[in-house]
Amino acid sequence: MTAPRPLPVPDANSTPYWEAAARHVLALPGCSRCGAFCVPPGPTCRHCHAADPAFTYRPVSGRGRVRSWTVVRRTSLAGFEGEVPFVLVDVELAEQEELRMIGRLLDGPDAPLRAGAPVTVAFEDVTDGVAVPGFVLGDGS
Amino acid sequence: MSPRFRAGGQVAIAGYAHSQVRRHAGRPLGALAVEAARAAIADAGLELRDIDGFVTAPLFPTSGAHTAEDGVSTVSADWLAGALGAAPRYTAGFQGVGQLPGAVALAVGAIAGGAADCVLLHRALHNPAGHYHGSARHEVGGLQQWTVPQGFFGPLPMIALPYNEYLQRYGADHESMASVVVEARKNGARIPWSYWYQRPLTAMEYLASPMVNDPVRRLDCDIPVDGVAAFVLTSAERARDLPHRPVHVAGFASSPPPPPRLPLHWPLDDIMAGGAETARRLWEHAGVGPGEVDLPQVYDGFSPFVWFWLESLGHCPAGEAHRFVQDGGIDSDAPGALPVLSGGGAIGGGRMHGVPQMLECYLQLAGRAGPRQRAGAEVAVACQSSPHYGGAVVYTAQPW
Repeated sequence: MTAPRPLPVPDANSTPYWEAAARHVLALPGCSRCGAFCVPPGPTCRHCHAADPAFTYRPVSGRGRVRSWTVVRRTSLAGFEGEVPFVLVDVELAEQEELRMIGRLLDGPDAPLRAGAPVTVAFEDVTDGVAVPGFVLGDGS
Repeated sequence: MSPRFRAGGQVAIAGYAHSQVRRHAGRPLGALAVEAARAAIADAGLELRDIDGFVTAPLFPTSGAHTAEDGVSTVSADWLAGALGAAPRYTAGFQGVGQLPGAVALAVGAIAGGAADCVLLHRALHNPAGHYHGSARHEVGGLQQWTVPQGFFGPLPMIALPYNEYLQRYGADHESMASVVVEARKNGARIPWSYWYQRPLTAMEYLASPMVNDPVRRLDCDIPVDGVAAFVLTSAERARDLPHRPVHVAGFASSPPPPPRLPLHWPLDDIMAGGAETARRLWEHAGVGPGEVDLPQVYDGFSPFVWFWLESLGHCPAGEAHRFVQDGGIDSDAPGALPVLSGGGAIGGGRMHGVPQMLECYLQLAGRAGPRQRAGAEVAVACQSSPHYGGAVVYTAQPW
């Protein structure tokens, strides 16, 4: 029997992220002081160093470019053993320089990839009420 | 105030011991540590009662579900002192980034500052039964909720992403990485305690080995082992009266704070920018430059780190390390080459987390490398972990 996929346990900093994802919307935390996105949100703002960033979530385009990728053929996560091989992409989102996220490329392990390839957010409905952001090739048009 | 380390050259390594490196020792790690400690103290020409300081970095570097049990899967300085029946006045465990360089820095500071006269520094690594990083968790909170539900977890994809970035950006290929792994295994095969003793590897064998997280092959990863190394450090003045030629600590550096990122997300630009700063700190602290280093021992827990360290330390321009390696630049048997893996490293020896690098610096500068002894080595550097998330120590044959 395959172990179930690991699921997020939302906290005060991340609940809006997972609520938006469940609606298939990518919303990211921005610092209330300087406006810059911080992923993941920490205790302070990494851009303006505010100790009270009071992150607020804003929807983003979900478009970005592939900076790197890997084909996972062996995983340490029991809940992903039934999923190998799968592709993880390191994506720089269009909204902000160096705003990078890592997600699965949902086009499958043989999708043609190159550095700079355009991708768009897509969602995996993993269980009731939980959708995990990933990406698909293309600019979403 | 000079940026140079004021205690540079004041502390020296006086002796060492290394256990056999095995996949599974069949004995608790603490038992290996006690034996290694006793052997190192004897090697330094000292008695247990002379040792008044114990230092280690106790990290059990698993991302998975294994528990760290003192004396079994990790060995703290206090545990070892207690098991030996010692009565130290100083014990410490380094918890920061770059475990072995950090532990050396603690020991040097304790001796130079008078908190201890003779420090036993050890590093003990354990290979648990089952999957080293295995995790069966179903729920993930904290920072890992941003990566684990996506399937991004553990050090394999961590290193695969910047490795692939390097391959794409600089047109590097797997033949170049074969040169790294074959060189590590060639040297590891010559070291009697190494896991890979008398088992070198060919480039064809490397290129035929399976991918685990493309472009990372299984043979790009060091093999998890049970093993313990111990060193005795004391003042350079006292070390002069002990049996072996002292090897001095000129200076050290740890990496600058890494940019906040997703857990285990190490973009290539972060590695190289942080690595440049690590190297800048190191040269400033030790008062040497890369051109004066005879024996840089770069970290190779994953083979791409060899390219990253070569460039960070300034031995190759950015993007050139793969060509340098492929052209024989690190062949320890070639006159004029830079022998960066002459100690076998982790790929040639086993997952000892910086020990092979430190030990090779010590053995060569002390003139104790046996058949592998290199002529004229005066300045050596031991690196650990990633250039942006690790550290390094400069060792010299003479006080610098």
